[in-house]
Amino acid sequence: MSLVIEARDLRKIYHMGEEEVHALRGVSFKVVKQEFISIMGPSGSGKSTLLHILGCLDRPTSGELLIEGQNIQKATGNQLAEIRNRRIGFVFQNFNLLPKATALENVELPLIYAGVRRRERRERAEVVLERVGLADRMAHRPPELSGGQRQRVAIARAMVTEPTFILADEPTGALDSKTSAQIMELFAELNAEGNTILIITHDPTVAKQTKRIIHLLDGQIIKDTAGDGVSA
Amino acid sequence: MNLAEAIRSAVWSLQSNKLRSFLSMLGIIIGVAAVVGIVSIGLGAQASVLDRVSALGSNLIMISPAPTLGRGASVSTDAREVFTVELAQYMEERAPSMKRVVPQVQTSGLLLYEGTNLRASMVGTTPAYKDVTNYEVRAGRFLHELDVDQSTPVMVLGSRAAERLFGEADPLGEQLTFVVGDRRYSFTVVGVMESKGQVFMGNYDSQVYVPLSFVMERILRTNTVSTLMAQAVSAAEAGAAVQQAEFLLASRLGTTDGFTITSQDEMLETMGEVAFTLQLMLGAIGGISLLVGGIGVMNIMLVSVSERTREIGTRKALGAKYRDLLLQFLVESLVLSTSGGALGLILGALIANAVSRFGDWPASIELPALAVAFGFSALVGLVAGVYPAMQAAKLDPVVALSYE
Repeated sequence: MSLVIEARDLRKIYHMGEEEVHALRGVSFKVVKQEFISIMGPSGSGKSTLLHILGCLDRPTSGELLIEGQNIQKATGNQLAEIRNRRIGFVFQNFNLLPKATALENVELPLIYAGVRRRERRERAEVVLERVGLADRMAHRPPELSGGQRQRVAIARAMVTEPTFILADEPTGALDSKTSAQIMELFAELNAEGNTILIITHDPTVAKQTKRIIHLLDGQIIKDTAGDGVSA
Repeated sequence: MNLAEAIRSAVWSLQSNKLRSFLSMLGIIIGVAAVVGIVSIGLGAQASVLDRVSALGSNLIMISPAPTLGRGASVSTDAREVFTVELAQYMEERAPSMKRVVPQVQTSGLLLYEGTNLRASMVGTTPAYKDVTNYEVRAGRFLHELDVDQSTPVMVLGSRAAERLFGEADPLGEQLTFVVGDRRYSFTVVGVMESKGQVFMGNYDSQVYVPLSFVMERILRTNTVSTLMAQAVSAAEAGAAVQQAEFLLASRLGTTDGFTITSQDEMLETMGEVAFTLQLMLGAIGGISLLVGGIGVMNIMLVSVSERTREIGTRKALGAKYRDLLLQFLVESLVLSTSGGALGLILGALIANAVSRFGDWPASIELPALAVAFGFSALVGLVAGVYPAMQAAKLDPVVALSYE
């Protein structure tokens, strides 16, 4: 199995005035292709910091992060932007869609930054929107969609660049339990189709639906267990 | 991100806050409208003033008396006493650079013809008046030497005066009455002049022309004239003619005060300067509005960047680079300011048109002026957008994404 993510002794120290806050105290793990992982921990466990580092939005204070073998420690801001664009598909708790743009235009957005031509962009966005079950909602704008539909648009947007992995931050945090279940089901299907998916969550019922759970507490991994999602 | 995408995104963003976008454009709209309106009106007015001064005639020098103050032992002399028909002849003979010196007196009164009456200004002059002012006869004839010699009560009408009094009818040979105070004078119409249009200093078309001697002897009962109109031999000698006139008058009056001599060139120059100063001043007002507009655009862009911090964070997470966001917000600022610029062009052209309709000159709306005003609005947008766009582009994605 090819290695997608390799985290080696990641540490992150924030300076809050005089005080040093150790958000990550040496986190190491590996993710191989087509894994379906949740990183779970209570608030203050360092999962947001880990999300930012895994998402190449932030750099660790020390330690190394390799994405498909590429060390991001020395990458410039623009190179990080490129890595985020090509290799990472973000899904946010609050969807973070552009309210004035249609579902189709929202999904096209990362392809614009990738420099894909208009016609190809449109075709690829249509394919993924169909895949998440929104073939008939492409011309709708986010305010005209339900919460579950908005998150599907966001997932389509994350998938459209065919990234190395999808990184979801509390993807069901803003949804009711029924819709949450549908979204988790979609993630399971996408994983079965070959996508590598990481979900950051504080919710054990969400974590249980993935195949592997990394438990985070006080900036360290305390447990790395299998989830129920193995059977999915 | 290419330009087309940036423009589309800018339009989305401006549409989502229509009132706010419009209000922040307002400064630019006013600034550009002011610049366009002012320049168009100014150019039109300038052209029209120059036309009018030229229409006075060619190589003209106007000589008129001005009262002086007595100082010390000298008693205030009224230079008007010196301005006589004899002075005109004297100057014509003595000044080699002057071809003709035409005396002229003016008065005004009520013209009566059957049931119609018209307040008109009357010019008493000599036959040379017509040549000096390049004035053409439409029907009948102008004044003759004989009319002046014999003070015949004949009258030549300006085209507008003729139209007002007679309409379509032929005025030649008709009898008119001119009323000044309680005195009435009867004239026979012998000619109608071609239209000369609005001319600098009065309208030739609404005046009437009668023999100089008649006005001086019978109406005003004076032996002085109000103005001498001299014509230089050629354009090259206009300067010399002014000097000769000054010399002759000074030796007559014993002082260099007491009269004013204005050449047509000087008038053109003065008018040009006045028009230029006016344009400069009003242009500066337009410039200030543009500056204020620019500050408004910058302000609204800063608000927009801070409101859309999460959007910026999202775009960064999706792979937007520094230059993508810089371009996006710069283009947004440009779209905002050039939309204002375009609206300002339209408004300015409308204002110029309206003013020229009420005023008596054509506005000249010229492409270079439009282009410059529009270019300025774009420049303002660019300058105002740089700082906010840089703020957006260098936001830390982690901070931006967690912004509430």
